[in-house]
Amino acid sequence: MRIRLVAAFYCVSVIFIGTAGAANQPAEANQMVPVAKVDFNHDVRHIFSNHCYACHGPDANKRKAGLRLDRKEDAFKKLKNGDLALVPGDLKKSALWDRVSATEDRKPMPPADFGKPLSPKEIDTLKRWVVEGAQWEDHWAYIAPKRPQLPEVKNKSWPRNDMDYFILSRLEKEGLQPSPETDKAALLRRVSFDLTGLPPTPAEVDAFVADSSPGAYEKVVDRLLASPAYGERMAVQWLDLARYADTNGYHIDNAREMWLWREWVINAFNKDMPFDQFTVEQLAGDLLPSATVDQKIASGFNRNQMVNFEGGADPNEYLSKYVEDRVVTTATVWLGTTIACTECHDHKYDPFTQKEFYQFYAFFNGIPENGLDGQKVNPVPSLNVPTPEQTAKQKDIQNKRTAFAERIKSEVAKAHPNESVTSAAVKPPDTREVVWLDDAPPPGAVLQGNEGTASWKFVTKPAPVFSGEKAHTRTAQGLSQHFFTGATPPLHISAGDKLFAYVWLDPKNPPKEIMLQFNDGSWEHRAYWGGNHIDWGVEKTPNRLPMGPLPEVGKWTRLEVDAQAVGLADGANMNGIAFTQFDGTVYWDKAGLVTRTPPAMAFTTQAAWEAAKDAKLPKPIQDLIAVAPAKRTDPQKAELRTYFIRYVDGGSRPVFDPLNKEDEQLKKAEADLNAATPSTMVMQEMEKPRDTFLLIRGDWQNKGEKVTAGVPKSLPPLPPGVKNDRLGLAKWLVAPDHPLTARVTVNRYWEQIFGIGIVRTSEDFGSQGEWPSNPQLLDYLATEFIAQKWDVKKFMKLLVMSAAYRQSSHVTPELEQKDPENRLLGRGPRFRLPAEMIRDNALAVSGLLNRQLGGPSVRPYQPPGLWEQIAFGGDFSAQTYLQSHGPDLYRRSLYTFAKRSLPHPSLVTFDAPNREVCTDRRPRTNTPLQALELLNDPIYVESARVLGQRVMKEGGADVASRLRYAFKLSTARLPSDQELAVLRRIYDKQLAKYQKDKDAALKLVSVGESKRPAELDVSELAAWTAVGNVLLNLDEVITKG
Amino acid sequence: MFSPQELRQALTRRTFLTRSTTCLGGAALASLLNGRLSAAEDAPDLKSYGALPQLHFAPKAKRVIYLFQSGAPSHIDLFDPKPELTKRTGQELPSSVRGGQRITGMTSGQSQLLMVGPSNKFVRCGASGVEISELLPHTGKIVDDIALIRAMYTEPINHDPAVTFLLTGNQQPGRPTIGAWAAYGLGSVNKNLPEFVALLSGGGGQPLLSRYWGNGFLPGRYQGVQFRSSGDPVLYVNNPPGIDAGTRRDLLEGIQDLNRLELGAVGDPEIATRINAYEMAYRMQTSVPDLMDISKEPESVLQMYGAEPGKASYANNCLLARRLAERDVRYVQLYHRDWDHHGNLPNEIKRQCGLTDRASAALVTDLKQRGLLDSTLVIWGGEFGRTAYSQGKISPDNFGRDHHPRCFSVWMAGGGVKGGQVIGKTDDFGYNIVEDGVHAHDFQATILRLMGVDHTKLTYRYQGRDFRLTDVTGKVVEKLLA
Repeated sequence: MRIRLVAAFYCVSVIFIGTAGAANQPAEANQMVPVAKVDFNHDVRHIFSNHCYACHGPDANKRKAGLRLDRKEDAFKKLKNGDLALVPGDLKKSALWDRVSATEDRKPMPPADFGKPLSPKEIDTLKRWVVEGAQWEDHWAYIAPKRPQLPEVKNKSWPRNDMDYFILSRLEKEGLQPSPETDKAALLRRVSFDLTGLPPTPAEVDAFVADSSPGAYEKVVDRLLASPAYGERMAVQWLDLARYADTNGYHIDNAREMWLWREWVINAFNKDMPFDQFTVEQLAGDLLPSATVDQKIASGFNRNQMVNFEGGADPNEYLSKYVEDRVVTTATVWLGTTIACTECHDHKYDPFTQKEFYQFYAFFNGIPENGLDGQKVNPVPSLNVPTPEQTAKQKDIQNKRTAFAERIKSEVAKAHPNESVTSAAVKPPDTREVVWLDDAPPPGAVLQGNEGTASWKFVTKPAPVFSGEKAHTRTAQGLSQHFFTGATPPLHISAGDKLFAYVWLDPKNPPKEIMLQFNDGSWEHRAYWGGNHIDWGVEKTPNRLPMGPLPEVGKWTRLEVDAQAVGLADGANMNGIAFTQFDGTVYWDKAGLVTRTPPAMAFTTQAAWEAAKDAKLPKPIQDLIAVAPAKRTDPQKAELRTYFIRYVDGGSRPVFDPLNKEDEQLKKAEADLNAATPSTMVMQEMEKPRDTFLLIRGDWQNKGEKVTAGVPKSLPPLPPGVKNDRLGLAKWLVAPDHPLTARVTVNRYWEQIFGIGIVRTSEDFGSQGEWPSNPQLLDYLATEFIAQKWDVKKFMKLLVMSAAYRQSSHVTPELEQKDPENRLLGRGPRFRLPAEMIRDNALAVSGLLNRQLGGPSVRPYQPPGLWEQIAFGGDFSAQTYLQSHGPDLYRRSLYTFAKRSLPHPSLVTFDAPNREVCTDRRPRTNTPLQALELLNDPIYVESARVLGQRVMKEGGADVASRLRYAFKLSTARLPSDQELAVLRRIYDKQLAKYQKDKDAALKLVSVGESKRPAELDVSELAAWTAVGNVLLNLDEVITKG
Repeated sequence: MFSPQELRQALTRRTFLTRSTTCLGGAALASLLNGRLSAAEDAPDLKSYGALPQLHFAPKAKRVIYLFQSGAPSHIDLFDPKPELTKRTGQELPSSVRGGQRITGMTSGQSQLLMVGPSNKFVRCGASGVEISELLPHTGKIVDDIALIRAMYTEPINHDPAVTFLLTGNQQPGRPTIGAWAAYGLGSVNKNLPEFVALLSGGGGQPLLSRYWGNGFLPGRYQGVQFRSSGDPVLYVNNPPGIDAGTRRDLLEGIQDLNRLELGAVGDPEIATRINAYEMAYRMQTSVPDLMDISKEPESVLQMYGAEPGKASYANNCLLARRLAERDVRYVQLYHRDWDHHGNLPNEIKRQCGLTDRASAALVTDLKQRGLLDSTLVIWGGEFGRTAYSQGKISPDNFGRDHHPRCFSVWMAGGGVKGGQVIGKTDDFGYNIVEDGVHAHDFQATILRLMGVDHTKLTYRYQGRDFRLTDVTGKVVEKLLA
């Protein structure tokens, strides 16, 4: 039955693909099967599971009375008190019956305080089962599927392939007839969405409708399967399962790079990589003999989990979270098993122990990763994958560097630092100015302020600028500031130094107070000018030092502060500065330090330079200087001498300054290249893997016994000849006798096409999961999939070639009553498109869609401020939404940048998950927020406008033919007369309106960045945009029917 | 447009369609949850509009407003006076007090853990004489209405897992927040607004994640809908440029007409649901802007909160929360950022109190004046407390405090809470709990209890397990109940 939860506000349905409350699964199955002999798996197991396993199930710690009801060998054993719980055929001797049928005074089972009493019907089922001989079966999902016989059917002409026999036989059992085949246009639209995620073009519709050859449909199916869009369509569900995203997910949620892995998935589907290979490469591609770059990229599947680096967090805690996530995800994706419970205790319903969880964990516990990582792209281990051009560039730079090193060597050999070319020639000035900040903040600076990173507003002339090209500015009401911290290297302060900054106050809007704050690890170094409005620090101390009145407005003034007066002692290292003001508009420019410390290059003898022990020198050089000259080795001496000549010696400057500059340019080119080279996270094994321990109650701080890798005992053992490692695990999953992998996989493809899995709970094939709606069909499909060598395209073809698939999706009262969810397939599938397809469809219908395949994620329109309001900011990536422009605005939705802490609204509104964790099934909801999105989101308004443009150009001359064309683009069919009349009404009325109100028309047709053909009449286009807006909101247009 | 009644008539082309569009979904679920239909009609107090067939207790709190102070305000400086700390400022925290308990990586490297007293004085407030910091003069005035929990405790020691734990019952992402549970279990009585709304203010400091108002494994419609102070108040609630209200109505009528024709031809009840959703969307287009427009509030009210129309602020959000409560929105979650005072605490906490104290108190006062406080639960608090020892050096006006999950303070008012009392006691150092600890799960159980729900009975099956907000623990804090 379909559960409709309808609350007063939304008053809309949520189809609970997930299940509400308890005890959901048997009701429907029971209704459909006539009363027959009690079947243990079908009728009894879920009663035990729901009502008994909490105390009489797999969890040894919770087991009572010595009774265990999930395994045959235990269920019939003597209890602690010597009784037998179950005696086949003998109710009186069966203690279980005695207890479940007991009256209240005798404490019936389950106990009242457990809160899950048996219904009379369930009690009756148990009774009949015992009377009929208490026949036991192992849980169906843990027994390898056997190829079932094709069932007998009455209507022999209906089936088109073997699959149809299973469906028809079931329908006939229920007294239902299949629906007639749907019309060709509708079928083409359905199969186009199912195989490519995109609608057919009107030309494709016409061609198919016109093709009356017997193989016409198969030709279409083959064409769609061969389309590159197929891989994109198939990838989406896999990305949900793999919890793919473009950010790290925890806390600051900055960017990572994993799109190469996404591209691998798309390509794998397009190449029709068999599912067993698809599995092995993603779980253990790195462990394959001579693994290719592609196989290593594939192994990133289990690096997609979230990664954390929150300050102060414990790396060991997060290491354990990453591995747990891999266990849970792998078990969900391939085993359809909810193993997460066993992280803390033995499973309450299924035959998995806590120890087995950690044995599974051990497979994934040897990755050389960090518990806290991801601050910069990418968390290790990761792989740089340069493009061919990048590889060529890299070689070029390498060659240049080799040549450069030679030149340096020969120039150093030629140089003769002259002890006498000294102080007189390059006498250091008494003081010098070190500019720290001018047109850009210093390296390493993390920009912050009242508005996060955006607080820094650099302006150019004609705004007031003192030095260079730019100044930075701020307008405030009350207290407001921008600042940075984290500059590397820091600014070194020496005794007597002065700090300076240039300031210009707006005469029209002067501030009441300005303040400079300096950070050496603390901000307690402040100087202020003007009124005393800013409430920080203690007046007249280094943390709130009055400097006198505000400088004159409308002119640049140099502010100078004695470093010691604000508490910055000799040797302090300053890493940040804050520009603070109270009210007004202020411009700031060049800031830095006036110092007497001579710059390094002013030394003219090596001995004097060494003696100065400059703390700003690179660490290795400082270390060498620390070695007594007599104790230095020859290479050490040479290194020091080279450094001195290259960077310090006054006499060598004319030769080496230009060389050093060239060197810097080379280094920058290399850094730029590295930054542009795509990276992706991969799996790898540590030389010495970490030990794995059972974690007591799942607590990472509480280690129990040590365990080694292994697969659960209730499933088959590892196949012969494989190692007990990740690769072995992968091969185990796709061994032909594995009871779960093929079933779980075909069930998911089924769900993609028919809306609900044969096992509805596609993530849970255990005893709490749903009984398959058609077990023989599931086993047929699973065995067929394996027989076809895990060929996914062949399998998808099998589904869409069936007669079941080709039925009309119209709902008759009889079907609605008997099978509202269409589990028996008495009609074709009909349901709302998934999030990505809704947007892709609008883009395709209008012609905006950019079909470029693969590549990094893009950033389509998004309402401003969504990221910024929640972001940490600083110099972390993915804190500010930088919208794409041009063709990137119109890419397919699976390329939309996936930020976990704030997924794109156009996707989440339509039930796409946030990808924090593995998601097996998306709910399908139907809400007003979706309506608002489709009505008003600029991408849909722009699509409507571009659809209008298309219709005006391609749709013929008269309004009626244009309306027909627009409707056909959107639905693949022509409108009925009634529908046409409604559309005509809308068009005529809006045209009249927009002819009167040209302003409004212009506003409407200006939505979106795509160009509008100037030759089209604005009012007319606005009316067509309105029609497009209506069409893109129709239920039919966002539904696969 | 049409009323639901008219809509229904339009749809009664086949009787089965009516079934799917009337608001009786709860009944279908009733049998699933309890195995039998409730007698909701006989006990109107227990009426539920959500997945629960009926409430388990008469609800005291018909709605909740949770003023979440993100970053974790210091209990020692605001709510839990510790003269002993003042006396011992600059001395090492006795190791017997810490007892080897975990501290974060931010202070574990410090050679000393020197205690530091509160930055400001505490004063006795109200008839109940509860002591709170002079930094919170307005909160001081409502002290007789609030129950101050001084012995809250939680498990995680970092922000992300701690917020996630306090709001979803689990440290790792994936589960629904309290608001989503409330929306799912209880539904809403408002026809024009969502049942769970999120409001954000403040900048800087710890980041927020939309999971903090997320639906977890519940369907997406239970996610908190963010009402925003700039741009569209609700995403896409405003028409695009060039489409005015009249045009929108014309186009919607066209959409509905065409959808009705499709419904007639195809017969899928889902189409009827869609028609309904568009009707609601249209109503939201008027109700949301009206709700968000605080400029119509009298000047005295604006002043009481410190709210300024058109500005993005905590004060505005508190006022909006009252307006949402008046419209019976079930659960309003505010987030105010920047309470993470690892350094410069005395100044920073003063600034934050300045931004929040007046409005928090105004909300309680205003609700009380309107007779809504009895039925509205207001909660104030962060994700954990802060350490008795300083992070970094101590000077008279500068010290910091690190994260401290072992005890912290939270207050509740209204909605069936007994005011003017203090729950629980911490030791002389504000470090460990001495009496009546309230675990995060106890806190959650109590919120649900005030809403009329037994926390063990509001469950959702996901991946084979019946999940609940309080995981496997949680005890209602009976002392809190009026």
